[in-house]
Amino acid sequence: MKIEKEPISGQYGKFKIDGLDYRIYWEEAGQGVPLLCLHTAGSDGRQYRALLNDKKILERFRVIVFDMPWHGKSSPPENAKIQNYKLSTDFYISQIMSFIDGLELIKPVVMGCSIGGRIILHLAINFPEKFRALIGLQSAGHLDPYYDISWLHRQDVHGGEVCGGIAYGLMAPTSPESHKFETMWHYMQGGPGIFKGDLFFYKFDGNIGNEIKKIDNSKCPIYLLTGEYDYSATPEETKSLANTIGIEMTKMKNVGHFPMSENPKEFLKYLHPVLNKIS
Amino acid sequence: MMFENLLVKNSVRDSLSRMAQYLNTTFMISTIENEYLINIEKGIVQNVEEGPFVMPSFVFKLTAPKNEWLMFLQHTPKPGSHDIIAMLRRNVLKFEGDLYPLMSHLLYFKLLLASLRPEGNKNEN
Repeated sequence: MKIEKEPISGQYGKFKIDGLDYRIYWEEAGQGVPLLCLHTAGSDGRQYRALLNDKKILERFRVIVFDMPWHGKSSPPENAKIQNYKLSTDFYISQIMSFIDGLELIKPVVMGCSIGGRIILHLAINFPEKFRALIGLQSAGHLDPYYDISWLHRQDVHGGEVCGGIAYGLMAPTSPESHKFETMWHYMQGGPGIFKGDLFFYKFDGNIGNEIKKIDNSKCPIYLLTGEYDYSATPEETKSLANTIGIEMTKMKNVGHFPMSENPKEFLKYLHPVLNKIS
Repeated sequence: MMFENLLVKNSVRDSLSRMAQYLNTTFMISTIENEYLINIEKGIVQNVEEGPFVMPSFVFKLTAPKNEWLMFLQHTPKPGSHDIIAMLRRNVLKFEGDLYPLMSHLLYFKLLLASLRPEGNKNEN
């Protein structure tokens, strides 16, 4: 039988993050400018499968996606026990910088979605000189809780089912059902309490107020793209963020909170022009 | 409103029942003007009763104005009307009561309500 091989390679490595050893899994494809992609809360790097297969992008960019600790094929830290996992801003920054350092990436482009779209704002505030450009998908400066996230981690409710149900609604009704199902499936495979723990960063610890004004777009170009069906980080909230920074934002039609995964074809129409500017 | 159509059997609702084979509950949908009591046994809608009611008994209740439900039930709803949590976020839908049956079968309820949209809608799993 002839199979259709993809150009993606996967690898494991040990990284020291905040003094602890973590076994991290990452995938990459292409060559050129490093483009590091950050997945959403409670999911993993498979969300970027279309980018890792896009010939146009791979000609000019080395696309790299790692699974955050506790997510996908990356392990919890050594000697881990069941715990009340909570993602802090500092730990999120540490894992990204450790990964960049470990792979010796020089001035990468970093693109993140949702929590990734939030952390790129922290990177822009703290280390703008380290990046060639930052791309925020579904970025907002802060998010107040609008549903009780304790439902995401209760021993009497199947975590995969409820996390999948939450993720499903964040996608556009116009996105292809097969991609929506796969996106939801990643959520259904998450570890207990991990999605909820990531939302600690998204809805509490990682909220940014006036510090947004510290972002200087001349030090590192920032691009913001948000799907119209996202009700978590709405286009209006991204617009408000863009206004504060003094840049334009792009509202993407027919996609929701997971553009790269729920409707890659539509998303790439918006991403290609951005990458053309960067490269 | 068209909530009584939940009683109509079709392939979508047949497959949905497999996602909720241990679900037995009665919930209420309110459009402010009207109320609907919906009974589910083993994931299958057994009864839909339109109010007014004198002493309705239900486990949880979803309340939104009629126009919001109509927007939700469009073939391709607009952003913010496409999902019950999206409506919650906009403060146009209220969840009340014991939410355990709803939250433990969240996708089921989302897809069950979406199954009322005109045929051809892609919200199937």
